[in-house]
Amino acid sequence: MTAQIVLSMLMGGVLLYAGNERRRSPVVAWLSILAATAGLYFTWMPEQATSLAHWSGIGRGVDLVIYVWVGITLIVLLNLHLKLRTQMELVTVLARTIALAEAKVQPVRKPRRRTARRASSSEI
Amino acid sequence: MADGMRVWVVIAAYNEAKVIGRVVGDVTRRGYPVVVVDDGSADDTADRASAASIVVRHPINLGQGAALQTGIDCAMQQRADVVVTFDADGQHRSADIESLVAALREARADFALGSRFLGRTIALPAARRLLLRAATVFTQLTTGLRLTDTHNGLRAMTRRGAAKIRLRQNRMAHASEILAQIAASGLPYVEVPVRIEYTAYSLAKGQRIGDALTILLDLFARRLYR
Repeated sequence: MTAQIVLSMLMGGVLLYAGNERRRSPVVAWLSILAATAGLYFTWMPEQATSLAHWSGIGRGVDLVIYVWVGITLIVLLNLHLKLRTQMELVTVLARTIALAEAKVQPVRKPRRRTARRASSSEI
Repeated sequence: MADGMRVWVVIAAYNEAKVIGRVVGDVTRRGYPVVVVDDGSADDTADRASAASIVVRHPINLGQGAALQTGIDCAMQQRADVVVTFDADGQHRSADIESLVAALREARADFALGSRFLGRTIALPAARRLLLRAATVFTQLTTGLRLTDTHNGLRAMTRRGAAKIRLRQNRMAHASEILAQIAASGLPYVEVPVRIEYTAYSLAKGQRIGDALTILLDLFARRLYR
């Protein structure tokens, strides 16, 4: 019973986490919700987990719960990777702003203005 | 498209000190103002590119996609009517810029995309040819664009077209991302034959077959978040 309560609290935490992530990363959020809901179900319905485990060839119901937990961990890792990418995008915007602000501009060089006649020739 | 348009050439460079001076000189001799974006090079790329109208230096290395977007932003700030992207490794011909710009006007298109397969390639290895063909099929399937060459860095876009481009893929996947954004924009595009001359230097700097997997993973990951 103690293990079931602890597992349920962990799954509840995953559900809260998924709820928070829903707007930023819907795919990860829905995968987390799916896995956590399945985990909760199997935690409190171990006989169902055992039946499903036998049916899928895993063996014991508890193993199935562990596999679900591993799945959740991988999803959270994926989300961490996506957060790092988001951070990198922010770093890029910051670096670009700095770079443009400090750009070295040469003394005025008159840009070549294309005329209709010159632009129509495809080769020089 | 109005006559007398301002054409800016954007060159993204990373550790290209050996060739950047020659490439920039080649383009500027044709009268085009150039923006060189030094993507945090460890060598003196920025100093060697001093013939460019503007040299922008990323404080850290971010990737070619990020450097191109910085260059496009810079050209737009200079009120460019047409922005041309041009590789730093010397495999493009500056003469092809004229063809791209002419194609934009004649086809009334917003994007002119260089195609080495409509034009010519010199010293293209067979493995890379195969990889490029596979990338073309992939792009046709994912974007619906009917193109013959999808990873060609030589392209031109009008100001209206450039405003639709917002690259978020910092690394090599930007070439696919830019095509996806062209498709999403619904603006007209045209392919233009160009010549690409591979050298030992450009082949060493270019993509490898293993990079294709990284590009696919980057494109997939980008679809998972907003």
